[in-house]
Amino acid sequence: MAKLAGVYAASHAPLIARDWHLFDDPLKAKLTSAYQRLGARLNAARADIIVEIAPDHWSNFFINNLPNVCIGVGATHNGPPEPFLKDFGHTTLAGEPQFAMHLLETALASGFEPSVSHQLALDHGFCIPLWRMELDPLPPIVPIVINSLEPPMPTIARCVAWGNLLASAIASYPVDARIAIVASGGLSHSIGEPTMGAIDETFDAGCIRAFEAGGEPAIIDYLDRALVTAGNGSHEVRNWVTAHAAAGSHGFELIEYLAVPEVYVGCAWAAWNPAA
Amino acid sequence: MKRTDYALSKLFFDLQSGPAAAEYRADRAAVLDRYGLEPEIRAAVLADDVATLAPLVNPYLLRYYCTASGMPEADFLEKIRG
Repeated sequence: MAKLAGVYAASHAPLIARDWHLFDDPLKAKLTSAYQRLGARLNAARADIIVEIAPDHWSNFFINNLPNVCIGVGATHNGPPEPFLKDFGHTTLAGEPQFAMHLLETALASGFEPSVSHQLALDHGFCIPLWRMELDPLPPIVPIVINSLEPPMPTIARCVAWGNLLASAIASYPVDARIAIVASGGLSHSIGEPTMGAIDETFDAGCIRAFEAGGEPAIIDYLDRALVTAGNGSHEVRNWVTAHAAAGSHGFELIEYLAVPEVYVGCAWAAWNPAA
Repeated sequence: MKRTDYALSKLFFDLQSGPAAAEYRADRAAVLDRYGLEPEIRAAVLADDVATLAPLVNPYLLRYYCTASGMPEADFLEKIRG
């Protein structure tokens, strides 16, 4: 039977790639170190499959057809469409259709109705953590897109339910495989709105405290209140909530937090505590 | 509930492609003719009137548009922050 090999989260920002050459050496070192420390844990987890949860930044979907949750079941995924990510070097990434279909079928049998894609493009939200964590080898990816860009979005409580569903799908997968989860996105940021560039360190600290403490009701309550004013990009914390629940809601270990105005994002890296 | 302008959103979405953005920068009017924008919205696009456009479109698409149209980031920040 499959085993949950570890649950992790990392922020992303397109400017980490696009503007890297403009950053001073201390900032480059801090960002590199944070991703590498998380990547070392993921490499040590020896995952056969990574389920990665990220938003779609208008790369696959538009408002004529906008899924709240979409599972990528393809044997391959397209690499990032953004020109500034060409150095990532992956024009395609391997998928894992067998587990992806098991997840899809488990979801449908459990009262969830995700969308499905046989050919996703994995944009910077997926690829910056995979790239900067320096995963070697890069395992096959089962992408889950959770809409956090355009309302209406899934509720925080529904993301908790999705996390529990994901854990149950891993536990019931009848294949000897180690499956890790990576959530990408957050914490606070504001993009293309009047508060653009604002990093809400109070919001970020509240998220970190809530994830460290564990449990589910307090996180739902906190985010339902705090997300209203934390900036539109902060909604990506839905991916962290899903990972948190998939890990059993036992709390996480913060690996690094950096408010980085150069990339407009309150960046964090974390690893969830395994079940007791 | 906020008003979303579909034609404006579609224009901004399409301009994510490099060739489409290049065509737009070379001849805005010709590209805009294909989208059937309402006259006041078309005028706002031609005038780079970010404050008028912002409530009508997803903020990420607005930012992408300003990059695709050749607007420097500092100018966009000044316009969006009012």
